[in-house]
Amino acid sequence: MTKVTFERVHKAFGAFVALEELDLAIRSGEFVSLLGPSGCGKTTTLRMLAGLEQPTRGTISVGDRVVNELPPAERDLAMVFQSYALYPHMTVAQNIEYPLRKRGVARAVRREQVLRAAAQLQLEALLDRKPRQLSGGQQQRVALGRALVRNPAAFLLDEPLSNLDAKLRAHMRAELIELHQRIGKTMIYVTHDQLEAMTMSDRIAVLDQGRLQQFDTPLEIYNRPVSLFVAGFIGTPAMNLVKGTLKADGNRLVFDAGGLSLELPPALVRRDVLREGGIAVVLGVRPEDVLLATDGERATVKVVEPTGHESIVFFDLMDHTVVGRVGPDVRLAAGEPVGLTLNAAKLHVFAAEDGRRLNADLQPPATQAAPSLVA
Amino acid sequence: MRRFGWSRILFNLLAWAIVFVVSFPLLWTIVTSLKPQTELFLIPPSLLPGEVTFEHYAKLLLETRFLAYFSNSVVVSVATTVLVVAVAVLGAHSLVRFAYPGRERLAQLVLFTYLLPSVVLIIPLYLLLVRMGIANTLFSLVVAYTTFALPFAVWLLRSFMAGIPQDLEAAAMVDGASRMGAFFDVILPQALPGIISTAVFTFILAWNEYLFALVLVNQDSSRTLTTGVITMLVTSFHIEWSMLMAASVMMSVPVIVVFAFLQKHLTRGFGAGAVKG
Ligand SMILES: Nc1ncnc2c1ncn2[C@@H]1O[C@H](COP(=O)(O)OP(=O)(O)OP(=O)(O)O)[C@@H](O)[C@H]1O
Ligand SMILES: [Mg+2]
Repeated sequence: MTKVTFERVHKAFGAFVALEELDLAIRSGEFVSLLGPSGCGKTTTLRMLAGLEQPTRGTISVGDRVVNELPPAERDLAMVFQSYALYPHMTVAQNIEYPLRKRGVARAVRREQVLRAAAQLQLEALLDRKPRQLSGGQQQRVALGRALVRNPAAFLLDEPLSNLDAKLRAHMRAELIELHQRIGKTMIYVTHDQLEAMTMSDRIAVLDQGRLQQFDTPLEIYNRPVSLFVAGFIGTPAMNLVKGTLKADGNRLVFDAGGLSLELPPALVRRDVLREGGIAVVLGVRPEDVLLATDGERATVKVVEPTGHESIVFFDLMDHTVVGRVGPDVRLAAGEPVGLTLNAAKLHVFAAEDGRRLNADLQPPATQAAPSLVA
Repeated sequence: MRRFGWSRILFNLLAWAIVFVVSFPLLWTIVTSLKPQTELFLIPPSLLPGEVTFEHYAKLLLETRFLAYFSNSVVVSVATTVLVVAVAVLGAHSLVRFAYPGRERLAQLVLFTYLLPSVVLIIPLYLLLVRMGIANTLFSLVVAYTTFALPFAVWLLRSFMAGIPQDLEAAAMVDGASRMGAFFDVILPQALPGIISTAVFTFILAWNEYLFALVLVNQDSSRTLTTGVITMLVTSFHIEWSMLMAASVMMSVPVIVVFAFLQKHLTRGFGAGAVKG
């Protein structure tokens, strides 16, 4: 089985730093997503692992082997390219067969494996077509087939589902999860779709501008985002973020933001970060932690967006707009006055200056390390 | 409707007129080569030969060194083409795929070669070939033509290869190919139209070249068609018109054959090269 390790891997293109000192220890058989906005370095990470790009410095290992100097062919990885990279002059069958041919698999076996991969991806009817005769989604499935037909040490998947329609996407998502459970191979999955990352991954690595922000389980990332960026990036609708000042007043902890004054649980933040006269913070509240309460703060309903199983509601609270979720049976109309409270146990506090999490539940250095359970 | 009909007819007439004007010399060459010598200088000239004869062809093939020159030309042109394509493909690939200092400058410098008139290059080239001890050989012509065709070939292929997505090669390497394997499996098939254009260009250049062949080779056994035919049939006192025309027709055959088979790729090739380059 194969673990994959990045140690202090740095990548610069000329003066532009694409990845900064990346440390990532992926366990054998783990399904890890690389998640982040466009241009954050996800593809670059995969390309370095595959041997298509040389890191500026740092060590990359697959299994117990340092692979920095190995050519791509000898790293025994299968990759789905973001651009599909199908060979235009080969048919679908030949495309899927190519990696097997290069590895000297016997013809009869190849044929059988190609057919199996094609069946798995519903490509049987297209085997004799050339890539340019396929739709985008079909091409993407061929690219996936070319990776799945092999039995590599690990799979690198660069947004392999981005071009599929919703139904096929859900189907392929399930297929991939099922495949992962069946063969238990290490999979590194690049996506900027957070729902995909949340539902499929054992752990998610959140990247922003070439920096690893957090590497943890989906729930941990959702419940304890280590930075303002992660907090804002994960979750739809996005977490409510309100700028203000946090002051310790005797035993009380008070958050002030333009007319809004909230008393927070005194143990919410680490004591060592509080300063005389208060500190500038951003208070984060997930929409599901905005609660309706008759004795709460006075607010007005601004917009209601019913989705069927719930409604997304925008409230005016003083001069802030706050998003909340309510059940399908709660009837609210625009302009209606309501009372709001926040779920005090689930508030997030971030430093305004550098965005780091200040909650007491997070010990200062504990950011990227895996939460126990080392294989 | 009427106007449309008329303009259409006019357009066709014009097009055919142009075709006729352009192809007239070729037609005239063929016609002349088939006339008996007595009909050559008739006034008014006969557009169609009164009597068709193949005597000039027979004489050329059986009584002169035409076939020897022909085979020399084939050897030189094919060798040049193979050499140029092989070097240019690798050179273009390097210019496109590998990052090294001065890469862009190098690519530009390549075309600078054409700023010098080739006449200027002949004497130094000749001295060089003498020094290398290969003067007066077919090989010296291969070398000369290669130096001349290679820069353009590299340039043409470079714009082709720049259009091949990098990920293709990357995918092949991840799939288990070596860099060379990826090159052969993926890059070459993709670059095929460009390679064909380059080959045709080089072949025709080598086949029709006269100046270098005249200056660099002074030995009858190493003459190519262009110089061989001229020295054989054209002297200061006399020109063997009929045989010259017959020789011209036979010289054109390989070029026409090459064009006929590869025309489709050729137009595609030059088009792509032009747009992307
Ligand atoms: N060969 C290169 N030369 C210069 N800059 C590059 C090169 N490759 C990537 N970059 C830069 O590195 C950064 C990261 O690129 P990368 O392709 O890894 O992004 P990504 O996270 O995959 O984005 P996306 O979601 O859009 O695919 C980008 O800003 C990109 O412009
Ligand atoms: Mg990418």
